[in-house]
Amino acid sequence: MTIALHQDPAAIEEGRAALAGMGEISPSMVYAALLTDDGFEIVHVTRIQTDATRFASMSSSIQALSDAVGHELRIGASDYVIIGSAQGHVIQMRVPGRPVVLAALFQSHETLGKALSTTRVTAERISHRFAASSVPAMAAPNF
Amino acid sequence: MAEHVILFAGPMGAGKTTAIRSLSEIDVVSTEAANSERHVVDKATTTVALDYGEITLGAEDKVRLYGVPGQKRFDFMWSILKKRARGMIMLINDDAPDAVQTMIDYLDDFSELYDQGGVVIGVSRTDLGVGPGLQAYTAALAEQRPQFIAPVFGVDPRDENHMRTVLMTLIANIEMRAMLAPAAEAAAP
Repeated sequence: MTIALHQDPAAIEEGRAALAGMGEISPSMVYAALLTDDGFEIVHVTRIQTDATRFASMSSSIQALSDAVGHELRIGASDYVIIGSAQGHVIQMRVPGRPVVLAALFQSHETLGKALSTTRVTAERISHRFAASSVPAMAAPNF
Repeated sequence: MAEHVILFAGPMGAGKTTAIRSLSEIDVVSTEAANSERHVVDKATTTVALDYGEITLGAEDKVRLYGVPGQKRFDFMWSILKKRARGMIMLINDDAPDAVQTMIDYLDDFSELYDQGGVVIGVSRTDLGVGPGLQAYTAALAEQRPQFIAPVFGVDPRDENHMRTVLMTLIANIEMRAMLAPAAEAAAP
């Protein structure tokens, strides 16, 4: 039986290393999580108190809703989602080639450009790390 | 034109998305993701936010159909969508583990919808003959939740006629209760 991605030790380890690297690139990042498309947390790093399981489920819903909006408007699946607020911004995007979402919270003083760039670079690194460590691919739905 | 917002709830694999696709006159908005729990329910994808469809009944009634994710970890979506709905079609797959208790648990989670309008229960996959069967659900309702008067149907969510019958029953139930509500309020001490 294939092990679920969120329970795969290699995925968890590679994800943890990538998220730690993300925090080094951008110290304004206070929370980052890697989750499956259907809302299971693979791993997270944090400097705040939050319910990681619930956040993973919410990120999954938001990702799917943003894709649905993209399809409705015929602009394709969303590349990334930004939630801006006075006290910080959340950026999330899919890890290329995987049914996995990277979601991160940055402090409000961080520029959106840098936050977006950091998230994108990390998502690409995770994709490469998963491939290099033979984390099995799971077919992503194609709608 | 009257508008109704109806929720489809129940466990993963009961057929909520399929039922909405059977009924909807518009392209259904779906939020499906690859299913990590193939060992629990063996299907490729699962709803992670909502399904949305629409149907017009008669000349007047527009019905908005919302499906919620079946898994408890998405209960924040339940809370959001419950507020808008006036009734619920609960789908339970008869071959689910402990299906009757699952129905009771979901009824408790969505009990506001009974108060807001009404609930109809659709039991799917009874044709497999591996579950407790329709009578067990009716009996459990009467015994464990006598305050819920909810019709129980055997349904195939792929069958538009089945789902239309269930939906019409729910709408009639909601409208009847709305009509009787002023009289009930007047009679209250």
